[in-house]
Amino acid sequence: MSDNILICRCEDITEEMVKEALDSGITTLEEIKRFLRAGMGPCQGRTCGPILRSMLARKLNTSLQNIEEWRKRPPLKPVTVSAFIQVEGEES
Amino acid sequence: MKHNYDVAIIGGGIIGMGTGCYLARKGIKIALIEREYLGSGSTGRCIGGIRQQFSTSTSIRLMRESIELFSKMEEEFGFPVEFHQGGYLLLAHSEKMVDIFKANIEIQKKEKVNVSLLTPGEANKVVPHLNLENLHAAAYCPDDGQAFPFAVLKGYKQQIERHKGALFLHNKVEKIEKTNPFVIMLQDGTRIESEKVLLCAGPWTAEIAQTIGLDLPLSPERHEAIITERMPKFLEPMVVDYREDGCYFNQFISGQICGCYTPIPNVPGIRDDASFEFVPNVAWRMTRLVPAIKNASILRHWAGCYTMTPDGNPLVGESPVDGLYVASGMSGHGFMFGPAIAKHLAHYIIQGEWDTDFSEFSINRSFENRESLK
Ligand SMILES: Cc1cc2nc3c(=O)[nH]c(=O)nc-3n(C[C@H](O)[C@H](O)[C@H](O)COP(=O)(O)OP(=O)(O)OC[C@H]3O[C@@H](n4cnc5c(N)ncnc54)[C@H](O)[C@@H]3O)c2cc1C
Ligand code: FES
Repeated sequence: MSDNILICRCEDITEEMVKEALDSGITTLEEIKRFLRAGMGPCQGRTCGPILRSMLARKLNTSLQNIEEWRKRPPLKPVTVSAFIQVEGEES
Repeated sequence: MKHNYDVAIIGGGIIGMGTGCYLARKGIKIALIEREYLGSGSTGRCIGGIRQQFSTSTSIRLMRESIELFSKMEEEFGFPVEFHQGGYLLLAHSEKMVDIFKANIEIQKKEKVNVSLLTPGEANKVVPHLNLENLHAAAYCPDDGQAFPFAVLKGYKQQIERHKGALFLHNKVEKIEKTNPFVIMLQDGTRIESEKVLLCAGPWTAEIAQTIGLDLPLSPERHEAIITERMPKFLEPMVVDYREDGCYFNQFISGQICGCYTPIPNVPGIRDDASFEFVPNVAWRMTRLVPAIKNASILRHWAGCYTMTPDGNPLVGESPVDGLYVASGMSGHGFMFGPAIAKHLAHYIIQGEWDTDFSEFSINRSFENRESLK
């Protein structure tokens, strides 16, 4: 039961799914994000990032500082498509 | 440490992982070397589109095979790869484009692709709310689709491990030495000896080939993409607008909309920096076609590479260096071609001859008078 705890609410990723990924030999936060989509939701990993980081550190038997953060992708907060068109639309 | 293998594969993208899977299943002893994580090159940056609407028999046949292979993956791997056949709708905004579509459809029909030329009204039924302004016709194949690249890579990885293939991850190939057997030196000092080498390092292929004195006509260029938050599903096919200021986009089964365009002029080089102009441009181009997209929120913007050849077709086969095989130059279709190329290339590496016609992709072909098609 406890393995069904949601780690990433935005993308519906459970603790069990993260553990399975860690057992498969994943060693970076970037891979957790890419293979599971954890951290890819509207909050951009602000909620699940710290938990994932500590799970990875525990699995690799290392300290948090040794876990590289994932790469930030623009825009950092979701922005509607229409906002971009109003501001800088080339051909409008 | 010294290691001995039958085939060393350089590059953990769709081509390397797929070919590794088919080789390992046949009992070939493989080592797959990847500088970062699996999919960290082009494969992890692509949007997973899969189509059969090509212009030559070789490509169409391979794509029919790939679709067959994608459709069996869930059963083979034991988990879904999010393969979904939502179709591809290609738009013609000029009579010249309509003629190109007609010629292509004739070839595609000969290869039994379920494709048809639609009137703007019919296209509007496939994509409700499609802006029909200046639209002359559309080519539509409902069997085209998409899949999730990382799920496919995970499946191949599990197959390779099950068949005792070795994976060297987060370890870069520094150099290939032309000895017998080949010697491959890795960043951490590991030395790999192998009878044969498959070089499929995507955009980095030409650079690595140089270390063994081989010149390959490959040029990487940047392509960007955006993805939005989930929206209720309203878009079935991948929509492709071929105008100079066109774009292509689809909606994943999970609801996110993913959009790209091919920049003119192209942006050469191995680069993954995201440009300022891309997001407003792609936003404008997508909403011009489907205005409802304006309410979506953009979550991320990223860039990756297409690896191009002078004629836009891949480069696949044995190189002038005996025992050194190359598979790169996949342009914007390496993911979709991946499974079929992998299967035939594995056969070729084992048997020394092709089990289907690959001459169009031959490394020794002439590139004179060929224009590239993306
Ligand atoms: C924005 C975008 C959208 C796209 N959309 C689609 C699409 O819808 N459909 C489609 O089919 N294709 C699409 N593509 C194209 C597709 O991504 C590529 O054609 C395909 O992924 C190429 O796969 P590959 O295995 O040849 O190369 P890659 O995936 O690049 O794999 C090569 C690997 O080699 C590794 N490597 C490099 N150098 C070394 C070294 N020295 N030592 C060890 N390893 C090394 C790299 O890290 C990399 O992981 C898209 C591409 C982009 C950028
Ligand atoms: S909780 Fe994981 S992305 Fe929001």
